[in-house]
Amino acid sequence: MDIMLLAPELAIVVTGLAVLLIGLFLPTDSKKVLGYLASLGVLVALALTVSSLGTEATLFNNTVTIDALSQFFKIVFLVVSLLFAIAGIKYTEGHSNTEEFYALGLFATIGMMFVASANDLMLLFVAFELASLATYALAGFEKKNAKSLEAAMKYFIIGSLSAALMLLGISYVYGATGTTSIPDIAANSGVLVSSPMGIVAVVLLLAGFGFKIALVPFHMWAPDTYQGSPSVVSALLAAGSKKMGIVAALKVFVVALIALKADWQIAFAILAVITMTYGNVVALKQTSVKRMLAYSSLAQAGYITMAFVVLTPMALGGGIFYALSHGFMKAGAFIATAAVGYMVLSENKDSADPDHIDNFRGLGKRMPITALCMTIFVFALAGIPLTAGYMSKFVLFSSTIQSGFVWLAVIAILNSAISLGYYAKIVKYMYFLPTDSEKVSEPFPYTLAMIIAAVGVLVLGFWSEPFIHWAMEAASVLITGGM
Amino acid sequence: MMPILSMIVLIPLIFAALALFTKTKEQARVVALAGTVIVLLLTVYMYFNFDSTIADNQFEELAQWVPSLGITYHLGVDGIAMPLILLNAIVLPLLVLFTWNDDRKSPNKFYALILATEGAVIGVFTALDFFLFYVFWELTLIPLFFMVSIWGGPNKHKAAIKFFIYTHVASLVMLLGIFGLYFAAWDMTGTPSLDIPYLINQFQFIGSGLTKDMIFLALLFGFIVKIPSFPFHSWLPDAYTEAPTAGSVLFVMLKIGGYGLFKVMLPMLPFTASPNLMITIMAVLGSVSVLYGAFLALSQKDLKRMVAYSSVSHMGYVTLGAAGLVSLSVSGAMFQQFSHGLIMSIMFMSCGVINSTTGTRIINDLGGLAQKMPKLTVIMVLTFMASLGLPGLTGFIAEVSVLAGSFVNLPMYVIIALLAIVITAAYHLWALQRAMFGVYNAKLGTVTDINVFQTFSMGVIAILILYFGLHPTPVFDMMMTNSEHIVSLMATMGV
Repeated sequence: MDIMLLAPELAIVVTGLAVLLIGLFLPTDSKKVLGYLASLGVLVALALTVSSLGTEATLFNNTVTIDALSQFFKIVFLVVSLLFAIAGIKYTEGHSNTEEFYALGLFATIGMMFVASANDLMLLFVAFELASLATYALAGFEKKNAKSLEAAMKYFIIGSLSAALMLLGISYVYGATGTTSIPDIAANSGVLVSSPMGIVAVVLLLAGFGFKIALVPFHMWAPDTYQGSPSVVSALLAAGSKKMGIVAALKVFVVALIALKADWQIAFAILAVITMTYGNVVALKQTSVKRMLAYSSLAQAGYITMAFVVLTPMALGGGIFYALSHGFMKAGAFIATAAVGYMVLSENKDSADPDHIDNFRGLGKRMPITALCMTIFVFALAGIPLTAGYMSKFVLFSSTIQSGFVWLAVIAILNSAISLGYYAKIVKYMYFLPTDSEKVSEPFPYTLAMIIAAVGVLVLGFWSEPFIHWAMEAASVLITGGM
Repeated sequence: MMPILSMIVLIPLIFAALALFTKTKEQARVVALAGTVIVLLLTVYMYFNFDSTIADNQFEELAQWVPSLGITYHLGVDGIAMPLILLNAIVLPLLVLFTWNDDRKSPNKFYALILATEGAVIGVFTALDFFLFYVFWELTLIPLFFMVSIWGGPNKHKAAIKFFIYTHVASLVMLLGIFGLYFAAWDMTGTPSLDIPYLINQFQFIGSGLTKDMIFLALLFGFIVKIPSFPFHSWLPDAYTEAPTAGSVLFVMLKIGGYGLFKVMLPMLPFTASPNLMITIMAVLGSVSVLYGAFLALSQKDLKRMVAYSSVSHMGYVTLGAAGLVSLSVSGAMFQQFSHGLIMSIMFMSCGVINSTTGTRIINDLGGLAQKMPKLTVIMVLTFMASLGLPGLTGFIAEVSVLAGSFVNLPMYVIIALLAIVITAAYHLWALQRAMFGVYNAKLGTVTDINVFQTFSMGVIAILILYFGLHPTPVFDMMMTNSEHIVSLMATMGV
């Protein structure tokens, strides 16, 4: 076994522990260095992952697998983690718990990365819980902010419930097939098809993952949690943690339980339609930008779920590509709200509603870079051409039509039309509504994170060929793995 | 050779970005004028190097973009697109001059939006890849939406949203049609491609007649709403009327719906499962638009609203002529687009001038303006005559070609449209008489004639209306070449 195969994971673990240790000996005002250290660690892990692209291997008795799919999602998580770490430099400024913030963020990342490479349901569950526990704590990072605590509490309770359901589902699968290894389950899934246990397992797992991906009707926690958590953490939750649910669901349903396709395919279709429609319609009347982004995040998850319905290599590739695009767009958008929130709070410490859309008035004049980046993110989320969001929708929706699910594509396309309503509202506030407030200086770490994300969105939109190709390769792992 | 098409698409977009960063009205308008004049010069150069005897795409540019989905960067112009690009290139600098002395909020954004619209519209006319085509198609929507919602009239928000939703839904339906064509061709050949000429050519090999008809109708819907044709015209009067003058002129320049009809629909038409049904649909929509639009125009009290409805009526000729399917009617319809662009620009500019100097556009509140505004009156009378189809002006040539050409195949529908001619003459002359002639309405206060910039820009367009009315060949020839090509396709199929 070549330990170098795990180098990216090791880099993150070492950085996480180092941050935690060093933080103990640093005075609060010099803890800024921890942010640079964490960003550096993530950057190294990202470089190691990119340099090992194309490697295929299995480790630890077949429980960890390295292939195109796991590499792809690892990069998604590392990118989000990088944005999180950079934006965190500003967010944690003057905070005495900086080391915990970064350590938890990095541990969440490591959990997500192991979910991406898990080839065994036990490892998948443990990694899933590692990431979840770390994010529960992060959601409540602002200990004196009631909203943040509420967010964390809700997230924790519902997250635990979903974990329990998932575990129960896994135990049914294990009971029927006698194994927790994903390829072995796929090979033995005949037992599940012929027994009612299969249905029970599918229902439980669907509910478990449904909570994590925030599919309606398992979404109740998401708007409150995304709104209440610090914006930088919301970025990690919406852009990272949600993708973890998607990659796990891909592994469990599309690979392990593909034999039960008839049972879960239609369920995913219904969930996708309800989720995207509910998310978009409710987002229309939100006045809190973070809450709006939370509902938009539901809608986006609804689109991605279409890949589970269509199940062709192109659709799965489209879904996976969408996950990458969404990572950039959503993380960027939340970081932009973080920058605005920072601006509002620095002007008025007791502002009750730093993420209210009124604070975006005239942002084009007050914070030109933030406003420009936010415009790119919301246009991408809406699917305006030449952005990552458009290319993702193009691949995903067109593959849906190709496989004959025209009705599903029509609903999704109409949904995109609705969504433009609230995305355009943000742009209108930023550029077209007057403000009498002054121009403010934009905090550098936020700006840097947003520019990275915006460049990512544009690169994926203009120069999509290699990324689509790569996502298709990742999708082919799912297809061949399931056969 | 230089990539001239990329240049005429990108230069307006680049200048739009530049205009955004200007601080004052003076800087913004200079940037806008520079951008539009460069495009005009390039277009004129292109026009003189254009071979109007062949129906092929010229000045082609082709590069791979996303090979795994068959997306290419493919540009080219033919005799359908060239006159429309010319129209945009000519009118836009004049529009900038027309607004030269106006005072308005955020002039930098105003001129940036004008330039962005020009780039997007020319992009639609040059794109030969459906992906690119759709990108530009959608891109035209955004600047116009903001144009209406920022500088529009009292009901601007409602008008902007209505326009946006209407045409956005139509483009999404069109997108479904594009997808249908894309996948049908992909299934047949095994390779993805979004190339427009290639897909139009593949359309005939699609096996299922139902699929073909669905694809055709989806695309047709997208184009018909943009034209707009009855019964999908209701966004137009609101949007045209509420938009600022420059916005209304930009709307008029947006000839992408009719362009799609000629470029995409007609070559596919003979290969649909039921071509006669499709022809009937287009003929009914076209002739009803002509008549119904004229009646609506007759009943308007607001001058600008009347002009907007007259636009519905005139664009009906485009749909009707396309359905006529002989080379005379098709090229007449193409020429109607060109002529309508010129005429309507002046009509909307006149409405804008009258509104800003008298404070009203209600026809009955005006009266005798000719005494105070002689320069405007001369230009307006000429344009109104062109619009109602006086021989010697562009409107006449276009409408006569459409009606005479269509009579061969569609006599009934031509008769319906003919009824409109009297009404058209009536509302034009009646409005002119009430607003411009008669006794001067003293309540209007001090009224000033158009300034030198406005005179220049409206005058140049008026001269062009006269010039192309007497001597249409410079653009009519290339339209004829392309319509003969389209009609020869029909003949091979025996439609």
